Amino acid sequence: MTVKERDFVETSIPDGKQLNLVRYYIFSPFLRIFHWLMVISIIVLFATGIVIMTPMSMGEGQYVALNEWHLSVDWIRNLHFVFGFILTAAFLFRIYGYIVNKGDRLLPNIFKIKFWDDLVEVMLHYCLLKYTHKQFLRNPMARMSYVAIYGLIIVEIFTGLAMYFQVNPNGVGAFLFGWLTVPYGEMALHVVHHLVAWAIFLFAAIHVYMVVRADFMEREGEISSMISGTKILAHLPDDINDIRNEHGKIIKG
Amino acid sequence: MEKYDSIWDMYRKKGISRRSFIKTCTAMTALLGLAPTMLPKVVEAAEKRLPVVIWLHGHECTGCSEAFIRSGAPMTSDVILNMIALEYDDTLSAASGEPFEHHLQEVIKEYKGKYILAVEGAVPPDASGGYCMVGGKSFLEQIKEVADGAAAVIAYGTCAAWGGIQAARPNPTQAVSISDVIKNKPIINVPGCPPIPEVMTGVIAHYAMFGELPPLDNKNCPKQFYGNRIHDTCYRRPFFDAGMFANDFNDAGAKAGWCLYKLGCRGPETYASCGSMRWWNGLSYPIQSGHGCIGCTSKNFWDNDPFYQRLPEVAGLGLGNIDKIGAVATGALAVGITAHLATSAVQKKKRDKKEAEKIKQALEEQDRQSKRKD
Repeated sequence: MTVKERDFVETSIPDGKQLNLVRYYIFSPFLRIFHWLMVISIIVLFATGIVIMTPMSMGEGQYVALNEWHLSVDWIRNLHFVFGFILTAAFLFRIYGYIVNKGDRLLPNIFKIKFWDDLVEVMLHYCLLKYTHKQFLRNPMARMSYVAIYGLIIVEIFTGLAMYFQVNPNGVGAFLFGWLTVPYGEMALHVVHHLVAWAIFLFAAIHVYMVVRADFMEREGEISSMISGTKILAHLPDDINDIRNEHGKIIKG
Repeated sequence: MEKYDSIWDMYRKKGISRRSFIKTCTAMTALLGLAPTMLPKVVEAAEKRLPVVIWLHGHECTGCSEAFIRSGAPMTSDVILNMIALEYDDTLSAASGEPFEHHLQEVIKEYKGKYILAVEGAVPPDASGGYCMVGGKSFLEQIKEVADGAAAVIAYGTCAAWGGIQAARPNPTQAVSISDVIKNKPIINVPGCPPIPEVMTGVIAHYAMFGELPPLDNKNCPKQFYGNRIHDTCYRRPFFDAGMFANDFNDAGAKAGWCLYKLGCRGPETYASCGSMRWWNGLSYPIQSGHGCIGCTSKNFWDNDPFYQRLPEVAGLGLGNIDKIGAVATGALAVGITAHLATSAVQKKKRDKKEAEKIKQALEEQDRQSKRKD
């Protein structure tokens, strides 16, 4: 499909070549709200989680200071629980966005050979073996990693709620999540919860690096797209079909 | 020896009055912690035939029996003499050898489908392995034979309930729990290493009184004894909430009796009555004695080592604490990202230079061509 003149948001002529920049609307507000709630809650959850694992205690007499600074285990744990619930609730935004907006459904097309070919291409690029890769709304590697991160977060939510509700093993919460404590015992949940928390932290670090790098190397508004919901691209992206509506029209910003 | 069908039968045969019998029942009601309105039920239960119990010992240390005989309320002597008919238990019986094994066979035949099987210890599932032989038979064969005619199975202790220390890494005998071997019978898990004596007698007294299993949770443990975390019933919990910890067994915090969480106490994920009932008639329990809980009622607790760290290390890898692994991974990632970033930047610069040259060449070519035209 060729891009029509009236859809151009900006036309520039660097080095004599004409570049047509088109703004594509991709991410619904629900996904964006979810994303930033997730950012805040993951930061708080990771920090408080580390403190819960190794609580602060500065010796005799100092606990008064800890309590005044709201650093008692009780307060830190409550913070952890509150943000755990915020993260869980934020997932509902993600699910709603997934239902209402095509651009929120940029998940791996694992049943298409092309997807795997493109994945290899993008991976070669990130291994610094290939200078450029095809342009995508969201590249196959990102698609795979976002599914992985959702998987990790779901593991955290399930193990977290299972441990949380076991305070009353006869309650509704324990009825819903208590089965998780059965196969390997509750201690295993703590270990998994903690390991996955580190995995999410490392993912976040890589994610931030890759996004910033993509923004500088490819100049496609990667970072601002998570605020505005739109990307401005010079070429028609390879996976544009993923945001066409049923009439074959592209959703534009 | 004279045989009695029930407690009431025993009183009658010994010529003791109905009045004394009711008095005993009243005392028993109080001892079991039941409401006075339950008295008629207790009387009814005491008039019924005493439940026959067969107690088997497998892969174990007899620590559970040692705990069992120290129960205060109900008294162990009350339980084994008045509440149940303990027909077979090789550590408590006076008889031994072939006559005793013969007696076991008779009991199985006579009370088929009615007796309770109490088991202590794990089961090595390989019958040809030669592990844990009882009277020339493997324990696996024995337990299968006895469980076949049992009304219910009580798995006493962590070994019977989860496999225990026998099933801990590297588990040379491949020991498994009772529930892995016996599939078609109701099993009550009474884990602990050993379980609290009153819990052991309480479970069997419950069955003897009401003729049914106590309510069980999702791990098949009796709810009344395993319904709470030790952490949630611990008298040191306020210290945890306030952030007052013993950092070392020798420091002022340990001396002052503060929370042992940082010394690896497993209270936060262990379900037992230690915090509420305590041991030896409420005398004490591990945390009260200044040592963290090791989580002895939990599945695989032996493998959750080391016991003196908050979280167990990732089994068998020898990598240490998860936070340390995470910190090392973060450091490695930082180095990786820096290297990747630097290489990408160099690549981009080179590439941009090349591209600029290409454009320059193209422009020059254009220039030349236009000049040629001229």
